[in-house]
Amino acid sequence: MKSVIRILPGQVLAMMVLMFLAGCSVSPWERGNLAREEMLPNPDPALSTMRAHVFESKEAASGGQGGVGGGCGCN
Amino acid sequence: MIGTGEPLDFGSYRGKVIYLDFWATWCPPCRKSMPFMMSMRKELGDEGLEVVAISVDEEKEAVNRFLARYPVNFAIAHDPDGDCPQKFEVMAMPSSYLIDRQGRIRYVHLGFRDGDKNEMREKVLDLLEEKP
Repeated sequence: MKSVIRILPGQVLAMMVLMFLAGCSVSPWERGNLAREEMLPNPDPALSTMRAHVFESKEAASGGQGGVGGGCGCN
Repeated sequence: MIGTGEPLDFGSYRGKVIYLDFWATWCPPCRKSMPFMMSMRKELGDEGLEVVAISVDEEKEAVNRFLARYPVNFAIAHDPDGDCPQKFEVMAMPSSYLIDRQGRIRYVHLGFRDGDKNEMREKVLDLLEEKP
Protein backbone atom coordinates (compact mmCIF):
# COMPACT_ATOMS: atom_id res chain seq x y z
CA MET A 1 0.00 0.00 0.00
CA LYS A 2 2.83 2.30 0.93
CA SER A 3 4.47 1.94 -2.48
CA VAL A 4 1.18 2.70 -4.22
CA ILE A 5 0.89 5.94 -2.31
CA ARG A 6 4.48 6.81 -3.12
CA ILE A 7 4.03 6.55 -6.86
CA LEU A 8 0.93 8.76 -6.85
CA PRO A 9 1.74 12.41 -7.32
CA GLY A 10 0.68 14.45 -4.30
CA GLN A 11 -1.81 16.54 -6.22
CA VAL A 12 -3.63 13.52 -7.63
CA LEU A 13 -3.85 12.08 -4.15
CA ALA A 14 -5.18 15.36 -2.78
CA MET A 15 -7.77 15.46 -5.57
CA MET A 16 -8.86 11.92 -4.79
CA VAL A 17 -9.18 12.70 -1.09
CA LEU A 18 -11.23 15.82 -1.87
CA MET A 19 -13.47 13.90 -4.26
CA PHE A 20 -13.96 11.22 -1.66
CA LEU A 21 -14.85 13.77 1.00
CA ALA A 22 -17.26 15.54 -1.34
CA GLY A 23 -19.21 12.33 -1.61
CA CYS A 24 -19.36 11.95 2.16
CA SER A 25 -21.75 14.76 2.92
CA VAL A 26 -25.35 14.64 1.82
CA SER A 27 -27.40 17.43 3.30
CA PRO A 28 -30.63 16.45 5.03
CA TRP A 29 -32.68 18.16 2.33
CA GLU A 30 -30.86 16.33 -0.48
CA ARG A 31 -31.88 12.84 0.55
CA GLY A 32 -34.88 12.55 -1.73
CA ASN A 33 -33.28 9.95 -3.95
CA LEU A 34 -31.84 8.05 -1.00
CA ALA A 35 -35.33 7.86 0.49
CA ARG A 36 -36.74 6.07 -2.54
CA GLU A 37 -38.04 2.59 -2.07
CA GLU A 38 -35.67 1.10 -4.64
CA MET A 39 -32.73 2.36 -2.59
CA LEU A 40 -33.54 -0.03 0.26
CA PRO A 41 -31.01 -2.84 0.80
CA ASN A 42 -33.84 -5.26 0.10
CA PRO A 43 -36.43 -3.35 -1.93
CA ASP A 44 -38.70 -6.31 -2.63
CA PRO A 45 -38.58 -8.87 0.20
CA ALA A 46 -41.15 -11.17 -1.44
CA LEU A 47 -39.20 -11.33 -4.70
CA SER A 48 -35.86 -11.94 -3.02
CA THR A 49 -37.38 -14.66 -0.82
CA MET A 50 -38.77 -16.39 -3.89
CA ARG A 51 -35.47 -16.12 -5.74
CA ALA A 52 -33.59 -17.52 -2.77
CA HIS A 53 -36.07 -20.40 -2.63
CA VAL A 54 -35.63 -21.20 -6.32
CA PHE A 55 -31.86 -20.91 -6.00
CA GLU A 56 -31.76 -23.31 -3.07
CA SER A 57 -33.94 -25.83 -4.92
CA LYS A 58 -31.87 -25.72 -8.10
CA GLU A 59 -28.56 -25.89 -6.31
CA ALA A 60 -29.84 -28.59 -3.96
CA ALA A 61 -28.31 -26.69 -1.14
CA SER A 62 -29.49 -24.20 1.36
CA GLY A 63 -27.82 -21.73 3.59
CA GLY A 64 -25.35 -19.04 2.83
CA GLN A 65 -28.21 -16.66 2.26
CA GLY A 66 -29.60 -16.50 5.70
CA GLY A 67 -32.72 -18.36 4.59
CA VAL A 68 -34.15 -21.70 5.69
CA GLY A 69 -35.36 -24.73 3.76
CA GLY A 70 -34.02 -27.90 2.17
CA GLY A 71 -33.15 -28.77 -1.39
CA CYS A 72 -36.40 -30.54 -2.18
CA GLY A 73 -38.22 -27.40 -3.26
CA CYS A 74 -41.09 -28.37 -0.99
CA ASN A 75 -40.83 -25.73 1.69
CA MET B 1 -44.88 29.94 -3.35
CA ILE B 2 -46.99 27.08 -4.59
CA GLY B 3 -50.15 28.48 -6.06
CA THR B 4 -49.13 32.08 -6.68
CA GLY B 5 -45.61 31.54 -8.00
CA GLU B 6 -44.43 34.62 -6.09
CA PRO B 7 -41.20 34.41 -4.11
CA LEU B 8 -41.61 33.89 -0.38
CA ASP B 9 -41.50 37.24 1.42
CA PHE B 10 -40.99 36.99 5.17
CA GLY B 11 -41.53 40.74 5.46
CA SER B 12 -45.20 40.30 4.71
CA TYR B 13 -45.54 38.29 7.93
CA ARG B 14 -44.03 40.99 10.15
CA GLY B 15 -45.81 41.26 13.47
CA LYS B 16 -46.89 37.66 13.33
CA VAL B 17 -45.48 34.51 14.85
CA ILE B 18 -44.22 32.23 12.08
CA TYR B 19 -44.07 28.49 12.27
CA LEU B 20 -41.57 27.78 9.51
CA ASP B 21 -41.23 24.17 8.51
CA PHE B 22 -38.83 22.47 6.11
CA TRP B 23 -40.39 19.34 4.65
CA ALA B 24 -40.39 16.99 1.69
CA THR B 25 -42.86 14.52 0.28
CA TRP B 26 -40.31 11.71 0.63
CA CYS B 27 -39.92 12.30 4.37
CA PRO B 28 -42.48 10.33 6.44
CA PRO B 29 -42.21 12.36 9.68
CA CYS B 30 -42.71 15.53 7.62
CA ARG B 31 -45.91 14.15 6.20
CA LYS B 32 -46.93 13.16 9.68
CA SER B 33 -46.51 16.73 10.93
CA MET B 34 -48.90 18.16 8.32
CA PRO B 35 -52.15 17.55 10.24
CA PHE B 36 -50.54 19.07 13.34
CA MET B 37 -49.54 22.22 11.47
CA MET B 38 -53.03 22.43 9.99
CA SER B 39 -54.64 22.24 13.40
CA MET B 40 -52.23 24.87 14.76
CA ARG B 41 -53.08 27.21 11.91
CA LYS B 42 -56.77 26.60 12.34
CA GLU B 43 -56.68 27.11 16.09
CA LEU B 44 -54.21 29.96 16.40
CA GLY B 45 -54.31 31.68 13.01
CA ASP B 46 -56.62 34.38 14.34
CA GLU B 47 -54.23 35.11 17.18
CA GLY B 48 -51.38 35.87 14.81
CA LEU B 49 -49.81 32.54 13.88
CA GLU B 50 -48.72 31.94 10.32
CA VAL B 51 -47.54 28.55 9.15
CA VAL B 52 -45.13 28.49 6.21
CA ALA B 53 -43.85 25.16 4.95
CA ILE B 54 -40.95 25.09 2.53
CA SER B 55 -40.74 21.94 0.49
CA VAL B 56 -37.23 20.87 -0.47
CA ASP B 57 -38.40 18.28 -2.99
CA GLU B 58 -36.40 18.32 -6.19
CA GLU B 59 -39.49 17.75 -8.30
CA LYS B 60 -42.28 20.27 -8.18
CA GLU B 61 -44.65 17.67 -9.57
CA ALA B 62 -44.24 15.55 -6.43
CA VAL B 63 -45.27 18.52 -4.27
CA ASN B 64 -48.27 19.30 -6.45
CA ARG B 65 -49.37 15.66 -6.38
CA PHE B 66 -49.06 15.56 -2.61
CA LEU B 67 -51.01 18.79 -2.13
CA ALA B 68 -53.73 17.68 -4.53
CA ARG B 69 -54.20 14.60 -2.41
CA TYR B 70 -53.74 16.25 0.98
CA PRO B 71 -54.76 19.90 0.74
CA VAL B 72 -53.42 22.14 3.52
CA ASN B 73 -54.61 25.42 5.01
CA PHE B 74 -51.23 27.15 5.15
CA ALA B 75 -48.67 28.60 2.78
CA ILE B 76 -46.37 26.22 0.93
CA ALA B 77 -43.18 27.33 -0.76
CA HIS B 78 -40.95 25.21 -2.94
CA ASP B 79 -37.16 25.39 -2.98
CA PRO B 80 -35.73 22.66 -5.20
CA ASP B 81 -32.21 24.11 -5.13
CA GLY B 82 -31.77 24.01 -1.37
CA ASP B 83 -30.92 27.70 -0.93
CA CYS B 84 -33.34 28.21 1.94
CA PRO B 85 -32.37 25.13 3.98
CA GLN B 86 -28.74 26.12 3.49
CA LYS B 87 -29.36 29.61 4.87
CA PHE B 88 -31.33 28.23 7.80
CA GLU B 89 -28.70 25.52 8.34
CA VAL B 90 -31.29 22.78 8.40
CA MET B 91 -29.87 19.83 10.32
CA ALA B 92 -32.72 17.34 10.04
CA MET B 93 -35.91 16.63 8.20
CA PRO B 94 -38.30 18.01 9.14
CA SER B 95 -36.92 21.11 10.85
CA SER B 96 -39.27 23.62 12.37
CA TYR B 97 -38.37 27.19 13.27
CA LEU B 98 -40.49 29.38 15.50
CA ILE B 99 -40.02 33.03 14.60
CA ASP B 100 -41.37 35.69 16.97
CA ARG B 101 -43.25 38.85 16.11
CA GLN B 102 -39.99 40.78 15.80
CA GLY B 103 -38.71 38.33 13.20
CA ARG B 104 -36.17 36.57 15.40
CA ILE B 105 -35.75 32.81 15.33
CA ARG B 106 -36.56 31.78 18.88
CA TYR B 107 -36.79 28.04 18.71
CA VAL B 108 -35.57 25.30 16.39
CA HIS B 109 -37.09 21.88 16.52
CA LEU B 110 -35.54 18.91 14.71
CA GLY B 111 -37.66 16.00 13.56
CA PHE B 112 -41.27 15.35 14.43
CA ARG B 113 -42.78 12.79 16.77
CA ASP B 114 -46.24 12.59 18.24
CA GLY B 115 -44.83 13.44 21.65
CA ASP B 116 -43.45 16.75 20.36
CA LYS B 117 -46.86 18.26 19.69
CA ASN B 118 -47.50 19.59 23.21
CA GLU B 119 -44.06 21.12 23.50
CA MET B 120 -44.40 22.85 20.14
CA ARG B 121 -47.84 24.11 21.03
CA GLU B 122 -46.60 25.53 24.33
CA LYS B 123 -43.73 27.35 22.60
CA VAL B 124 -46.07 28.82 20.00
CA LEU B 125 -48.48 29.98 22.71
CA ASP B 126 -45.60 31.61 24.59
CA LEU B 127 -44.54 33.53 21.48
CA LEU B 128 -48.11 34.55 20.69
CA GLU B 129 -48.47 36.03 24.16
CA GLU B 130 -45.60 38.42 23.56
CA LYS B 131 -47.05 41.62 22.20
CA PRO B 132 -45.22 43.34 19.38
